[in-house]
Amino acid sequence: MIEWITGTWGIFAGFFGVFVDIVTGNEPDFFPLRSALRTEAAWLWGLLTTLLGGIIVATIYRFVPWVERNLEKTIMVIAYLSIGAIIFIEVIRRFVFSEQFPWSTTIPGYLFLIMTWTGCSYNVRLRTHLSFSEFRSKMPRLPQMTLLALDAFLWWGICWLVIVTSMRVAANAGSNYMLVTGTNDVFVWWFLISLPLAFVLLSGRVFQNLFEDIRKYRHGDPMIEQTVLGGQ
Amino acid sequence: MEMEIGTLVTLISIGVTIMFMLGVPVFLVIAYWVLGTSLALGQRLDNIGTALSDVFTDGFALLAMPLFILTGDLINRAGIARRLSDFAYACLGWLRGGLAMAAIGASGLFAAISGSNSATTATIGSMLHPEMVKGGYDPRFSAATAAAGGTVGIIIPPSIIFIVYGFIMNLSINDLFIAGIVPGAMMVLAMIITAFIVSTINGWGYLIKLDPVRVLKTALGGWLGFFAIGLVLWGIYTGKFSPTEAAGVTVGFCVIVGFICLPIHKMMHIDEERDINERGFSEMLVVRGFGPLELPAITMRSAQITGILAPLIAISVVMQQNLSSLGAKEFLENFLISMGGYYPVLFTAMAIVFVAGMVLESLPVTIILAPILAPIAASVGVDPIQFAVVFLVGASIGFITPPYGLNLYVASGVTGVPYFRLLRYSTMYLFSLIIVWFMVALFPSISKTLLPGGGIYELLQAVFGGGAAPV
Repeated sequence: MIEWITGTWGIFAGFFGVFVDIVTGNEPDFFPLRSALRTEAAWLWGLLTTLLGGIIVATIYRFVPWVERNLEKTIMVIAYLSIGAIIFIEVIRRFVFSEQFPWSTTIPGYLFLIMTWTGCSYNVRLRTHLSFSEFRSKMPRLPQMTLLALDAFLWWGICWLVIVTSMRVAANAGSNYMLVTGTNDVFVWWFLISLPLAFVLLSGRVFQNLFEDIRKYRHGDPMIEQTVLGGQ
Repeated sequence: MEMEIGTLVTLISIGVTIMFMLGVPVFLVIAYWVLGTSLALGQRLDNIGTALSDVFTDGFALLAMPLFILTGDLINRAGIARRLSDFAYACLGWLRGGLAMAAIGASGLFAAISGSNSATTATIGSMLHPEMVKGGYDPRFSAATAAAGGTVGIIIPPSIIFIVYGFIMNLSINDLFIAGIVPGAMMVLAMIITAFIVSTINGWGYLIKLDPVRVLKTALGGWLGFFAIGLVLWGIYTGKFSPTEAAGVTVGFCVIVGFICLPIHKMMHIDEERDINERGFSEMLVVRGFGPLELPAITMRSAQITGILAPLIAISVVMQQNLSSLGAKEFLENFLISMGGYYPVLFTAMAIVFVAGMVLESLPVTIILAPILAPIAASVGVDPIQFAVVFLVGASIGFITPPYGLNLYVASGVTGVPYFRLLRYSTMYLFSLIIVWFMVALFPSISKTLLPGGGIYELLQAVFGGGAAPV
């Protein structure tokens, strides 16, 4: 138990070290963080990050509705339009000027990564992830509430898993100073860190949904409503 | 006593199937299957974190998917989709069931610019369902028509699912696109015939006169759509663009058209609700367009759909890896080879795809089954491109097979017709699509006729100016 606690402390210390490096303008040293994340304590850290991070995100969303409405949307739209713009402009440059930036085929992939997982979080809030809800929608209220709570726990479980495993990947990339192919100064970890961050946002969305479901259950409001793909 | 892996995997599979039936999101269902089997196999869980990022960063091809989804939303908002459906109606409205046939035809045209089944269903359904109901069609039939029409969204190029198939099977996506053209056209034709028969029997729809001027006007009105279709097909066919670049170019084209048309449309005071016969030719040339401020909202709609489909692709890739580790490929290989030669293997593979399509979304079906079934089919002499088309036509049929038919859900969502009430008429379309599916399987020349050595390819190369062969 002590090992887990000290290991978790080591991970937070590793993050703090990276943060200090970034703030002071130094090259961030990911090695201590990477080493700390390799221990089993990473799972305790992941659980804390999933739950505490999710509560913090849900609280921010609660008290700053502008962030709730616009954070994910802004990230997704900027990433999406950047992908389209880079590819379109580079095709034109290739046809007209016979030249193309070498990163034009790699950076869009990383932007796609950011857009996808932020979008995954956004769809959790809208409850638009594909599901076969024919039976659920015909159930009485208590089983419906139970199943909605089950969804929440299942999402948190996946958040926990992805936050730990993807943070290991990001720390590894940072520790190895991996650069995006075709660039000299763009680090891969800048993009990979978006995956655990998106799942922290997702965890916050799960808290929001669960609070809303409990409120609906208590007030006797309909628990499950029809959602439309592409609806907002 | 230690439980055998096989028993554990069976229990995990039963568990996630129950989760699915209870309405747990498909992403979670697959993710927990992956988690459970990874633990059963004693694999490192870090593989999951790696795969969820590598899927997007390791290749350029998959990027075509979000861009073709965005194209669909852009042409819809710009008013180009409306013009294409006007053209289809002007051509087919003189027949009984003309509006239903126009919905199918418009789906085919829309699919030739966009690459998404759900975008096709949602766009055509929301646009034509009210008019079909007004025209005396049964709302259930109208909604089923939108759902069925959407299936060609992923067969007529460009197609999201062809991109995914080519990406995971390392096949030329351009070749796959070209191979999908004739089967896609056959699917459209089969559904048009079905719509005609059902409408004639029930006496649905009112007839409009076949008016050459109206056809010409609407064809002119759809010129931007036809130009976009030509741009995509030319780029892909001559090898000037990769599919991702074609998608980027189409997005750029639609954005520029949208921005240019909006002020002109306003300046000319064009009323889109006015009857086409009363409009001048110049009014038909300009579409509604959209302004820069509308772009984020359009993009957001596409991003939301991408945020549903792309995570499914990522997690399905990990599922496929675990299935390989479990020896699913060897098991199916032994099973299929025991069936006999070419046709028994092909038909059994089709049956597997069909059954999987009934309970899973088509992207997971493709990612999970294609790497298993395609090599087995190749081992008995089925051409990889031919098999890909057979596989994907089957996967597209899965969009309207209950209990889990995505297009049925989308059509239900945009038309308000309850899911189960759609099934009566969607089943009629399903039969016609299955006939086309068997034709594509029995006659490989259907999918290969536009490819090198297929006959028409050489003719088209001569017409298009002998560009690079499709890559």
